[in-house]
Amino acid sequence: MGVGLFQYTVLSVLVFLLGALGLMVRRNTIVMFLCLELMLNGVNILFMALSRHMGSAEGQVIVLFVMAVAAAEAAIGMAVITTFYRNRGGVDVDRAHLMKW
Amino acid sequence: MIINLWDVLFFFLAVLILLSALGVVFLKNPVYSALSLLANLCITAVMYLALMGAPFIAMLQVIVYAGAIMVFFLFVLMLMNLHKGEYEDRIAPWRFLFGLGAVVLFVIQVVVLGVEWKGWVKGGSHGVSIGEISHLIFTRYMLAFELVSILIFVAALGAVALAKKKL
Repeated sequence: MGVGLFQYTVLSVLVFLLGALGLMVRRNTIVMFLCLELMLNGVNILFMALSRHMGSAEGQVIVLFVMAVAAAEAAIGMAVITTFYRNRGGVDVDRAHLMKW
Repeated sequence: MIINLWDVLFFFLAVLILLSALGVVFLKNPVYSALSLLANLCITAVMYLALMGAPFIAMLQVIVYAGAIMVFFLFVLMLMNLHKGEYEDRIAPWRFLFGLGAVVLFVIQVVVLGVEWKGWVKGGSHGVSIGEISHLIFTRYMLAFELVSILIFVAALGAVALAKKKL
């Protein structure tokens, strides 16, 4: 059995779910952001595999947009984390308990 | 049975991608996590280049993701200057129950894919040229492209406004 779309899809789902698991398990905000990037990377693999499978360039265009949005998100996220660190004295999400029930 | 070398390359790269993804999630030191993600992105770029015939996206992946975004993460990480007790996560074991949710999602995904997409034929196996990509960007995705440039501009302004102590 040759490697086809199915194997690429399984790979992308595994990378996405590892990122999601990390987002839920880790408490360090910066590592949580890294896991978010991991999830985006899994989605990108799926887009690229589908683009290759269908012989169309649209998947690659969308990967381009995902990269741009990831860059914007990283800039805003790092600004938020810097402010959070300054106000709370740490980067643990457990320090953000003001609205916790 | 003939072993296809491209398939061997796929499995080799897939194992490396999954190992580095595990490293991002489970390494204690956030700097090691960031470096593991860097490895993950670079290996993904190799996969785009070698197996999917997409040199343009592979190049962008290395320049934008590995070059710009990861350096940014590492820069902020160094800026915080965290000490050992501060960066090490105290992961409660019950949190790994979330992993069960991930497993369930994975099974659902594989079952759905196995049932629905079995009949797909492998379409155009040639790569896509940069010309086709740029043609799409400047015709069908023109509005989205311009909106992305506005988004990045606003994000840059917002980052400065958020992180500055006094405006």
